[in-house]
Amino acid sequence: MAYADGELDPGTRAAVEAAMASDPQLARRVDRHRALRGRVRSAFDTVLDEPVPARLLEAVRAAPAGPGGDNVVPLPRRPVRRWRRPQWAAIAASLIVGLVAGRLASLRPGNAGPIATRGGRMLASGVLASALTEQLASSQSAADPVRIGVSFRAKSGEYCRTFSLRRPAALAGLACRAGENWRIGVLVEGPPAGAGTYRQAASPMPPALIAAVDAEIAGEPLDAPAEAAARARQWH
Amino acid sequence: MNSSDEALRDRIIELLPRLRRFARSLARNPQDADDLVQITAERALARAGQLRPDHSVASWLFAILRNAWIDEGRSRRRRESLLDPEDLAERIGDTAAGSHPELLCVQDALARLPEEQRLAVALVLVEGLSYKEAAELMGVPVGTLTSRLARGREALQSMLSATSGVLP
Repeated sequence: MAYADGELDPGTRAAVEAAMASDPQLARRVDRHRALRGRVRSAFDTVLDEPVPARLLEAVRAAPAGPGGDNVVPLPRRPVRRWRRPQWAAIAASLIVGLVAGRLASLRPGNAGPIATRGGRMLASGVLASALTEQLASSQSAADPVRIGVSFRAKSGEYCRTFSLRRPAALAGLACRAGENWRIGVLVEGPPAGAGTYRQAASPMPPALIAAVDAEIAGEPLDAPAEAAARARQWH
Repeated sequence: MNSSDEALRDRIIELLPRLRRFARSLARNPQDADDLVQITAERALARAGQLRPDHSVASWLFAILRNAWIDEGRSRRRRESLLDPEDLAERIGDTAAGSHPELLCVQDALARLPEEQRLAVALVLVEGLSYKEAAELMGVPVGTLTSRLARGREALQSMLSATSGVLP
């Protein structure tokens, strides 16, 4: 077991390896330990791919930081609320599905970055807002700061577009038209920064984003003429 | 609020995916697991001053999460024994909808281990901590940790090989 967990020093490791070579039963036991470790590990690794729920991120951002010690006033705890399933499903489908990792530290309100928060909602701003309004997926260059993915009409009627950007962080998301704004419903960690030309050649859409598009889309994604026509109507 | 508090906050946000994974190895229901993560983050920030500069933030957070899980354990069990069947069905539905089937299978097996074995397995197999780190976090000698781990592993092995042909 300790061998399979990589806990042994090099000398003992070598001794175990020698013993395994001459003892098939020992080798099988080590294999079983390794297989179990791999299976447990990979099952739970699926959690790492899930978007972090927005409420968790909000809670971490909002929680007061204290000096520590015993005189800390107990924090008021969020009442544990169990959502009825239809309510949960509706919220999951239409609202923020998730954000990833402290990449957003620089995206606080008042920042002139690509994402602004207003009234608890995330809206596109700056380069992201103009790309969502102006840029066509059919004619964009690798130098554009924002890359537009698919555009489609959502079941609720408004136009939505997926996007990815590299600065200030590698992010990908789904934005839907809300009046003159673009409301960002999903934001996830995008393809790793520094993947360079490979990223341009084939930037895969993160699974959470694909799932969000599947949940929202009515019919098929817009083709190039439909995309241009929607832009001409200012996405209304 | 000073800059080191903000650095800790950012670090916690970075570690959220790992904390969620660890919580899911302890609490089967995704919402319960996320509640644990939230409690952990709030407690960590409230006690920011207790973090030693030489201490690993991840281990510190795992220890807080483990304590929160133990604290919650008693009230959770009481609540679950009182759940009406409709609530129960709903929770199972939520769980099934949010998780990978293989994950559910492993979680089911893990949930049947005694708490101490489950923690040992979660820290070493799921989170990849060394025996020494896991033992420190649980506050037990390394020998105790390895024996809990060995027993937990044997039990998992037999439960999982009964449900799938992946393992001999």
